[in-house]
Amino acid sequence: MILQSHDLVKSFGGVTAINHLSLEVEKGTVFGIIGPNGSGKTTFFNLVTGMYPVTSGKVTFNDRNITGLRPHQIAQLGIGRTFQIPAPFTKMTVLENVMVSTFIRTSSLRESRKMAWEILERVRLDEKGNTLVANVTLEDRKRLELARSLGTCPTLLLLDEVMAGLTPSEVKGAIELIRSLRTGELTIIVVEHIMDVILSLCDRILVLDYGEKITEDVPDKVVNNPDVIKAYLGERYSARH
Amino acid sequence: MEVQAGNIEAPSLSLARRFVPLGLLLLIALIYPWLAVPLWIRFATEILMWAGLAQSWNIIGGYTGYLDFGHGAFFGVGAYITGIVMLQIGWPFWIGLLFSGVLASLLAMMIGYPTLRLRGAYFAIATWAFGEMVRQIATILNVTGGADGMQLPSLLNDLFFYYIMLLVTALTYLTTYLLLDRARFGYKVLAIREHEEAAEMVGVNTVWIKIQAFGLSAFFPGIFGGIFAYWITYIHPDSVLGAQLTDFMVVMAFLGGIGSLWGPFLGAIVVQLVQRILWLVWGEGTFYLVIIGVAICAVVLFIPNGLIGLLEGTGLFSPRESVNQLKKKIKW
Repeated sequence: MILQSHDLVKSFGGVTAINHLSLEVEKGTVFGIIGPNGSGKTTFFNLVTGMYPVTSGKVTFNDRNITGLRPHQIAQLGIGRTFQIPAPFTKMTVLENVMVSTFIRTSSLRESRKMAWEILERVRLDEKGNTLVANVTLEDRKRLELARSLGTCPTLLLLDEVMAGLTPSEVKGAIELIRSLRTGELTIIVVEHIMDVILSLCDRILVLDYGEKITEDVPDKVVNNPDVIKAYLGERYSARH
Repeated sequence: MEVQAGNIEAPSLSLARRFVPLGLLLLIALIYPWLAVPLWIRFATEILMWAGLAQSWNIIGGYTGYLDFGHGAFFGVGAYITGIVMLQIGWPFWIGLLFSGVLASLLAMMIGYPTLRLRGAYFAIATWAFGEMVRQIATILNVTGGADGMQLPSLLNDLFFYYIMLLVTALTYLTTYLLLDRARFGYKVLAIREHEEAAEMVGVNTVWIKIQAFGLSAFFPGIFGGIFAYWITYIHPDSVLGAQLTDFMVVMAFLGGIGSLWGPFLGAIVVQLVQRILWLVWGEGTFYLVIIGVAICAVVLFIPNGLIGLLEGTGLFSPRESVNQLKKKIKW
């Protein structure tokens, strides 16, 4: 198991965003997390990456307890993430953005530049390499999010709604892109609202509602689970069907 | 990959275009004292000092994006430490300077550890309070001479002070260029300014990098303070710890263009020249502050990239500044 969470709890004052969540992600798989808005998906990523301190419970990465580590230490261990709302370094070029994240893997600028170009090529952003981020489109910023997270050479990648806001044809391209990242080495956790995306990408899917796990299963079974339908479409809809 | 082959290296101007103007500038600076009258040598020494001070502020304020309103404290601490080392311990000036730089830097790192987790106005207020605290302490301590100040041994040699100021200012700019414009450290610092959380998420140890940047930015004012004390020979809390010291550094950096290598240099020259010319014309007065105030308003409103922004595209500046040209096309 590359990532495990044990009885993870996160509360903000009286609101429990993550409620006793335990999960296991197998190495080399694509693991999907879905759930209505505010169900705790992004909070879960923030706990894994060390952005928020956990209230109780723990997270292990490759059987090592990473709870309480600082975000840059967790990045060093091999967890990368993208932000739901792209958070680029705006007054730097696309290439420089990716270079920053390669610095934990190389101490040479030349080497870093080379790594960054390779990654940009991989996400097909190499033509924009020398452009300031302020001048690129939303789609390219989403690609840059991905490129920058790849710069740290992660073994576990957390993708937080990389498709949100993209047009259908852009989504198609993005799916292709994530598929191409899928190698035995890289494990991916995808948070996404677009069901087609989740269903076509993931090996297993976990459904969150109010910070709790409703179910976890292979895609086909998840979409037919009555609890899932209830959480997504409401009591009345599920009663009618 | 073929398409990108030319881009693997950072776009750089040809050596000649970059270094010929710089070499000329340095040559003029080196022979200047032999051409100018003593009064103008003193003016030039002041300009050099302010150019260095404005750049030191630019490291934390411009590159790192943390508005430090207590930066003058490091200048004052440097001035007093050189004075104390020379007077109380009896060690030579050079050793005093070294102590000034190192201790100012350590002080910044200590102050930075708790305050650098504040952002924007909160960091500005915290550092302003720190600067005020240092001034109050210098006013009551015995070792600093309290409000009476401190008299240093005098060395009446304008050339010596001109050249040492030139040396330290050149080192300030060289260090900024090498560490902020041409090294991993600089990229990390910029990443922190642009998006601190994202920087941390891609492995930048933001706390440590910010403390280092603050320590670096305080090292140079420490040294300049030491030189200033020996040059002026008499220091007191208002002359080396007054709020106007920080204000001028900030004004020069903003006027010239923050976050750029040559902006603070340009800003220091313009502010000092205006100030001195008005002084020559009208004598002692504070009217120049009004003019500078109006100029700052104009810069912030019309050329947010500073005076350096107006000179872009002339081919004299590094790629980072030519990147600035693109910025101007975008509405923020």
